[in-house]
Amino acid sequence: MDRFELRYQDYSLSEDQQTVRDAFRDFFTSESPSSRVRAAEPTGFDERLWRQLSEMGAASMSLPEAVGGDDATLLDLLLVAEELGRALAPVPCIEQAVSARALHAIGAPSDLLAAAADGSSVCALAPEPVGRGARQLVPGGAVAQNVLALDGDALVLVHSDEPPAHVPNQGRTPLAWWDLAGGQRRELARGAHAVEVYERAQAEWKLLMASALVGLTEQALHIAVEFAKTRETMGVVIGSLQGVAFPLADIAIGIAGARNLTRRAAWYLENEPGVRPDLVPAAYAYAAQVATHGATTAQHTQGGLGFTTEADASLYFLRAKGWSVLFGDPVKDIAAAGRLLADELPSQTAPVLAAATG
Amino acid sequence: MDFSRVELDEDQQRFLEEVRAFTAEHVTEEVHEHERQTGSGFNLGVHLELGKRGWVMPEWPVEKGGAGLDPVRAKLLDLELHRARLPDVTMGTTRLTIGTVEKFGDPIMVAEVVKQVAEGTARICLGYSETESGSDIAGAKTRAVQDGDEWVINGQKIWTTGAQQCQYAFLITRTDFDLPKHKGLTMFLLPLEVPGVEIQPIHTYGGERTNVVYFSDVRISDRYRLGGVNDGWSVLRGPLDDEHSIGGPEAERSFQDISIGSMFVHQLERALDAAYAWAKTPAPDGSRPIDDPLVQYRLGAVALRLEASISTPGPLGRVKGSESLVLGGAELVDLVGPLALISEGHPDAHAGGEIDYSHRFAQGTATYGGTVEVFRNIIAQHVLGLPRANYPGHKVLSQKRRESSAAVASPVPQPA
Repeated sequence: MDRFELRYQDYSLSEDQQTVRDAFRDFFTSESPSSRVRAAEPTGFDERLWRQLSEMGAASMSLPEAVGGDDATLLDLLLVAEELGRALAPVPCIEQAVSARALHAIGAPSDLLAAAADGSSVCALAPEPVGRGARQLVPGGAVAQNVLALDGDALVLVHSDEPPAHVPNQGRTPLAWWDLAGGQRRELARGAHAVEVYERAQAEWKLLMASALVGLTEQALHIAVEFAKTRETMGVVIGSLQGVAFPLADIAIGIAGARNLTRRAAWYLENEPGVRPDLVPAAYAYAAQVATHGATTAQHTQGGLGFTTEADASLYFLRAKGWSVLFGDPVKDIAAAGRLLADELPSQTAPVLAAATG
Repeated sequence: MDFSRVELDEDQQRFLEEVRAFTAEHVTEEVHEHERQTGSGFNLGVHLELGKRGWVMPEWPVEKGGAGLDPVRAKLLDLELHRARLPDVTMGTTRLTIGTVEKFGDPIMVAEVVKQVAEGTARICLGYSETESGSDIAGAKTRAVQDGDEWVINGQKIWTTGAQQCQYAFLITRTDFDLPKHKGLTMFLLPLEVPGVEIQPIHTYGGERTNVVYFSDVRISDRYRLGGVNDGWSVLRGPLDDEHSIGGPEAERSFQDISIGSMFVHQLERALDAAYAWAKTPAPDGSRPIDDPLVQYRLGAVALRLEASISTPGPLGRVKGSESLVLGGAELVDLVGPLALISEGHPDAHAGGEIDYSHRFAQGTATYGGTVEVFRNIIAQHVLGLPRANYPGHKVLSQKRRESSAAVASPVPQPA
């Protein structure tokens, strides 16, 4: 890595991307208000919303047109995920989008791909390779008919006509235990490419989740800010007090950085994979930190009201952790970033002037 | 969205090689040693060499003394000067203010200054803070009183970094103590080589030299006034907003840093690279620190701060960049241990004392150009739309400040 290389630092969205973002923001605002989010508890699945979203092509949009997609990029998907997070939409859209892309990348049979693309069945992704444990709590697993998993160097699709029982959990998400060693298993591919496709799917899940967490945190902040603008104490609006305002400013700082870092990480993954692999775990871990800290601060801004179940802030607080830890401890991603950077940086600090002639 | 390498055409590639040849020849170890000794953020020899090539103001047209560089070339120059670690604090304050001088100054005065700035013979420092008002710039009470076509200036400025090597101070003064606080201010481009200006050094543990400057009955011509009398705040807004990263670029196809905080991050990059060099060095038994998952985590945590800072825009990035350097620098000292404390210059200093230096240098960045608290206020009010607190000294000069200014008031009679 050359830290002084001239690269674009362009985080802007194209007009098309802004259109995608606005369309999904409008959709989720009208179709996934907090009342719908609450109604979908405790499983965290709204079937009607899922059907509507599938019709909009949310999970299939990044597939090629030839197989029913819209040729959208991973970056476009990030925008959808951020809006999904903002509305806490109770749909397994991230899991489905990532699985559909992996099925396509591995050249899965067309029937599997078609089912994933049109949303008629739900496909989830195993958080860890089967070698780490065949029995896994799978995000989206309580509403999925299929789970994509890596067993040794084989990419397998584990099927169950009826999804396993929902496991009640803090984030009100459709978690379920899957036995990934047994049941109806179909081997899709074996070898280095299969491992690569699985690891890529994990990376994409983390980036999309990072985006969802950015949206989640921004809405939690919005709720807190609106409260702080009107609530008074001792004759002043609490938002004018630095003890209240500064922690909220810190959330805004975290959101802006996590959003841009996630976009930069996704850009590298999509356009120059292998050049900055450290950015994926860094972006994911940062978004997880920002969400945990941000949702905590945001609900606390409302004092006692913030931790009541009636407060929408509580919906955000519970999902900040309930989403960000689904693929395991995000701190492990910090270590992964540290490990990956070791290969990107030189072993010796180069003498200042010698570097300039390189 | 685009983070690809900027493709250079043949001319741009040639230019890059020219800049690299320049830094190899001129930004030498002697220059770095001079900076370590003085902490002045400036090197006269290099600055004049830059001026010869029009590189002090590289995007100005050639006829104005610049080099007429397109944005790609200007950025290449910037990156290579950073790579070579050119001490550039004074060049920075000069560039920050010269545009405003041009816009608001007397045309004949401007023509002279512009020429000197471009050739490197004139530099400009900031005359904002006072001993009793730091980030509260509009609280200035250095007094300017008109006397015919001259102004008489009395008072003092602090953190006037580079004053000892500058010809001008971009100075904010109070010309009316009775008007609302922001309305009684007038700006000057004050020539420093006049009687009554006394510059005294202040040294920081970050190795920097800054100054306090005293003005005792300093007389300057009215031609050095910038903008209208009592209209200084509107003159100051441009460079202040630039320094506050308000309205920074987040535009399509931009290759500019998205926040002024990226400046602070360069030092964290050097410290992190130094820590990696340590972590990858095998012990006699062949083990390396980097193979320890705890070390991977500690390095990853600093890297995360760094990458998050680079990606955080505008005033938000200014806070993030400084805090990442403050926290990350301290974490790297802990990680590397006593080896990280050995002073630069000693043969055992790790990577030239880079981590030691980072921890010392970092603290000032939380104050430069307005403290991180000032920026949190900006974020709360302008990004989040939260109401501003109602402080007694916000719109008017506080009584205490008026009284203390009366004690140092100039003997020159008030204008009628």
